[in-house]
Amino acid sequence: MSVGIEHYVLLSMALFCIGLFGVLTRRNALLFLMSVELMLNAANVNLIAFSFYHGNLTGQVFALFTMALAAAEVAVGLGIILVLYRNFRDVDVTVPSTMRW
Amino acid sequence: MLPIEFAGWAGLAPVYVLVATALVLFAVDSIDPRKTNRTLLAGTATAGSLVALAVAVWFLLAGVGTPQVDGGFGVIELHEGQLVVDQLALFFMVVIATVTSLVSVASYDYMEGHTYQAEYYSLTLLAATGMATMAASNSLVTIFIALELTSLPSYALVAILKDNRGSIEAGLKYFLIGALSSAIFVYGISLVYGATGFLQLEAIANNLESGYGPLLGLGILMLLGGFAFKTASVPVHFWAPEAYEGAPAPIAAFLSSASKAAGFVIAFRVFTTAFPLETTTAVIGIDWSVLFTVLAIATMTIGNFAAATQENVKRMLAYSSVGHAGYALIGLAGLGAGVNDVVMGAALMHLFVYGFMNTGAFLFVGLAEYWGVGRTFEDYNGLSAKAPVACAAMTVFMFSLAGIPPFGGFFSKYFLFTASIDAGMFAVAAALVINSALSLYYYSRLIKALWIEEPIGERDALSQPLGLYAAIVFAAVMTVVVLPGFGPVADVAVDAAAAIVA
Repeated sequence: MSVGIEHYVLLSMALFCIGLFGVLTRRNALLFLMSVELMLNAANVNLIAFSFYHGNLTGQVFALFTMALAAAEVAVGLGIILVLYRNFRDVDVTVPSTMRW
Repeated sequence: MLPIEFAGWAGLAPVYVLVATALVLFAVDSIDPRKTNRTLLAGTATAGSLVALAVAVWFLLAGVGTPQVDGGFGVIELHEGQLVVDQLALFFMVVIATVTSLVSVASYDYMEGHTYQAEYYSLTLLAATGMATMAASNSLVTIFIALELTSLPSYALVAILKDNRGSIEAGLKYFLIGALSSAIFVYGISLVYGATGFLQLEAIANNLESGYGPLLGLGILMLLGGFAFKTASVPVHFWAPEAYEGAPAPIAAFLSSASKAAGFVIAFRVFTTAFPLETTTAVIGIDWSVLFTVLAIATMTIGNFAAATQENVKRMLAYSSVGHAGYALIGLAGLGAGVNDVVMGAALMHLFVYGFMNTGAFLFVGLAEYWGVGRTFEDYNGLSAKAPVACAAMTVFMFSLAGIPPFGGFFSKYFLFTASIDAGMFAVAAALVINSALSLYYYSRLIKALWIEEPIGERDALSQPLGLYAAIVFAAVMTVVVLPGFGPVADVAVDAAAAIVA
């Protein structure tokens, strides 16, 4: 194989950092959700690359679980964003601030 | 006693009972979705969690999960060590099932008039299932799945009051921070997998030396972030006051007691089993018990100082629960010093007692919300004239949380204190004493409001909702009777701790 493991790790770290940057700067709850998905997929890239590197299937199987859980998380998250919109007429995460931080 | 042929899978019986109850609740609701029978739903949820509690206590006493050298049936490993039933797992299943049953009983009155009752109870039971699975998880895969099984229903439960802005805001903040921390957690898992090639905890420990240090170190740090979120410890504690304040009070009780305990059990298991101190230090170059010492002191100090400045009672309790997470973290900080199992056993005892006293305190706040008396300390003025029993119970919880003898909280804190002195952690012991003294200030402020202050305005007679009263009084009685019963509890806790640190 020509592509070394370090390239995969660099790719996944870049994805993770892009996701983290999105989480820290975006104010729209939906974009926040997408950024979190990016971070989860960064972990998946890692898991699959390392699975190939170590020669066992644990990582690949776990990546499948992670995808399913990410989907479940989005389902719950969208539900919460929906009630957020109904109550506050906005999906900006900085709008709900009735409680002191 | 147990049958001689004890099938391994039966060791997870408390978990099966919890998940079966959740499914029964769905089935009951789907028979006639238009009608809500509150008594049936709350009764089913309570009965299910009590059965799970009974099974877990029975297993613990009968010796399931106890090593065979101690006369037990041996530690049960399922699915090639992905799940493990030992004394630690059963101990936490007891704590979780207890809190779940208290919360179910109290919700009978608290959720009166709300829609989505069946969903409420089944989500609670599903979250409890996740927590009980966390107690038995022995691989980073099962830990992550169980963690999500706990988190996803919890997000929905915090936001279940769909027309209440506070509840929605709390749910949103809890979800956003939870999603972020689980992404960081799973990335940490992928790095640990990359460094060692395994996800099962013992296998990780066996392959640590071949691992690449920086990758492993970063992975462990990210795992730590996930645990800090689940246990509401510094630096990821700031969601707790928001989520607990906005959530329905029984859910706040549930999250701050059971969810926190479940977060601690996976932290204890991962750091003792997968990352033994000497080997890990040799590979990554950092002693992680020092990290936990710093976190324990920071968490208890920040939690208690923030609690002392609050005007809102529920928010004060939320910050106090952050402070208590700091006390329980001493269990992990103590692993760097000699007498491991005593320090960790003391932390387990604290989580056990905390399950009663903190749940009870939040349920009292739930009772106050049920009455509609208000949220601040002033609103609680003079409540004892109208509801002496509930106020007496609250006084027990407050004194116990502060660590005043003769209540349960005193003993667990005393054990933590002496154990950390024995381990030579004088800074931690000093922080524990100073913070307990500070916490007495804000806990007694509430007691003063309840018993001594005059009410601001005239108050009508207060109703006595049966479910809430029963849960509060039971929690108060347990906080007191833990005193004579502390010997067995302490023995079980130290045994459970010894099972993983040995």
